[in-house]
Amino acid sequence: MRHLDWAVVVAYLAYVIWDGIRLSKDSGDPESFFLANRSLPWWAVGLSVMATQMSAITLVGTTGQAYSDGMRFIQFYYGLPLAMIILCVTVVPFFTRARVFTAYEYLEKRFDAKTRSLTSFCFLMSRGLGVGVIIAAPSVVLSIVLGWSELVTIFVIGLTTTFYTMFGGVRAVTWTDVKQMVLIFFGLFVCIFVIVSQFPPTVSITDGLHLAGALGKLETIDTSFDLSEKYTIWTGMIAATFLFLSYFGCDQSQVQRFLTAKSVGQGRTSLLMSAFLKIPMQFFILLIGIFVFVFYQFVAPPMIFNAVEANKLQQSAQYAPLQQKYDAAHAARSQAALAYAENRDEQNRAAYVAAHTDFAKTRVEATELVKSTTGATNFNDVNYIFPTFVVTYMPIGILGLIIAAIMAAAMSSISSELNALATASTIDFYRRFFRPEATSAEFVRFGRFATLVWGIFACIVATYATNLGSLIEVVNKFGSFFYGSLLGVFVLAIGVRRARGRGAFFGIMFGIASVWITSLYTNIEFLWFNVVGCVVTVVAGYLISLTVTDEPGYEVPAN
Amino acid sequence: MDEIPKKPAPADELPDTWWYKVYAAVMVTTVVVILALWGFTNYFSG
Repeated sequence: MRHLDWAVVVAYLAYVIWDGIRLSKDSGDPESFFLANRSLPWWAVGLSVMATQMSAITLVGTTGQAYSDGMRFIQFYYGLPLAMIILCVTVVPFFTRARVFTAYEYLEKRFDAKTRSLTSFCFLMSRGLGVGVIIAAPSVVLSIVLGWSELVTIFVIGLTTTFYTMFGGVRAVTWTDVKQMVLIFFGLFVCIFVIVSQFPPTVSITDGLHLAGALGKLETIDTSFDLSEKYTIWTGMIAATFLFLSYFGCDQSQVQRFLTAKSVGQGRTSLLMSAFLKIPMQFFILLIGIFVFVFYQFVAPPMIFNAVEANKLQQSAQYAPLQQKYDAAHAARSQAALAYAENRDEQNRAAYVAAHTDFAKTRVEATELVKSTTGATNFNDVNYIFPTFVVTYMPIGILGLIIAAIMAAAMSSISSELNALATASTIDFYRRFFRPEATSAEFVRFGRFATLVWGIFACIVATYATNLGSLIEVVNKFGSFFYGSLLGVFVLAIGVRRARGRGAFFGIMFGIASVWITSLYTNIEFLWFNVVGCVVTVVAGYLISLTVTDEPGYEVPAN
Repeated sequence: MDEIPKKPAPADELPDTWWYKVYAAVMVTTVVVILALWGFTNYFSG
């Protein structure tokens, strides 16, 4: 990175801190600090919803995934519009009209305090660990490409975000999310323009897409019904719909976004904004990965994108001959790609596919060599592809812009989640059990303190997560254990009139246990865990509720 | 427990029938987008 790039990154970090402090003036009471006085316009809330969901690893990982596996990942989002409509009909009016601060507060009104506390506690645990991973994942990548230590990267991203979230509350989170989304979109548009401009003069964008298409990189629909397959139209339309219902409708980090909207209508519109834009946006991000792939048809990509592991590999005796083989395979593929771009006949296509297969084999050999020399059996450098490309080929100034955009993607997710963790800690525990009589100022003070504590906790988790690769998997699995059951308990609350507190509480337990058993004894992809957890929670919760005899005069609380 | 003052909810100005049309528009758009993606795949992969 050159001075101008560093200046762009530093200017971005300084701006978000200044902006957070500037917005802290209007956050002196809990309605304001946690919910921005329920006064935000739909477009700001909508952008914040999208920014919260799109973490840096989504941005970096998705482009890398498109490079290595094509566009299949887009199917994951096909169920999102339906999920958003269901949420607009159900939870948005329920939560907004109930005037709650947290989603779990509503569960006490409907069921009892223990159900509220259990769900809020599950949220705090899974999100507290999850936000650590959200900091860790881009920090590992950025530390390598920027040459910083992991610790410095973690604390720069984590503490900067904690700082402005702590002072500015949800208003600062939302308005910085809006600006960060603008920065991300601008960065991505510039990025795609720069990549395409670096194609060989004889290769057009259409040629590039035909090259990717010939290798099956542009598959956007897979109709095979295989529960062990992660990305098919069925996982997207069914399993991911359950995940999105749970994430956008029951996870406080998203529920808090639409609770800040001016009205039910504005909350609905903010979610429908994602319903309209998410699939095209994801397509656009994947397309960047595809264009990086096309670019590397004509410029030799590194054999291993993770520079640290690549350096270790160079010590191996097998490295030099493998690199020679890799270079030769790339040269052959490059020739074949040019020939196919010039004349798209079957013969050139077959030659190009064969050359790519040879090239891909040498890359697999290199990956296997890394695994055998370092002992990292789950080694995967997909997340390093896009940052490596950016650092190597982006012009001066643009590089700083893209790095700032990646940081913005990380910080926009972290800030919303820290704010939601602080809100749940304050409202569901501090106010509910410890200091119900506290003044408004005390609640805000505690909210700020909770933000700081969760921020530091997340940074500490992040330092461990970088060393223990499997922790990321553990945290993701822990989240999926809980999401389906959480959705199930809200289905019971809103949709099952006979449901009672005892049924809801034990229904969650059964739901979590069923997912745990499913993960142990089947090879079903984790997205389906959300379906299992939800169905078991609803069925078990309903059956247990039938055993409850209501007190005389009991009435189901009105929603 | 409700020490924090809460402001009353503003009236939602649009009727449900209007929202149902919006939801239908979202679903139609989604189907069109997925079909467009399918066309994109077929055009460039064929």
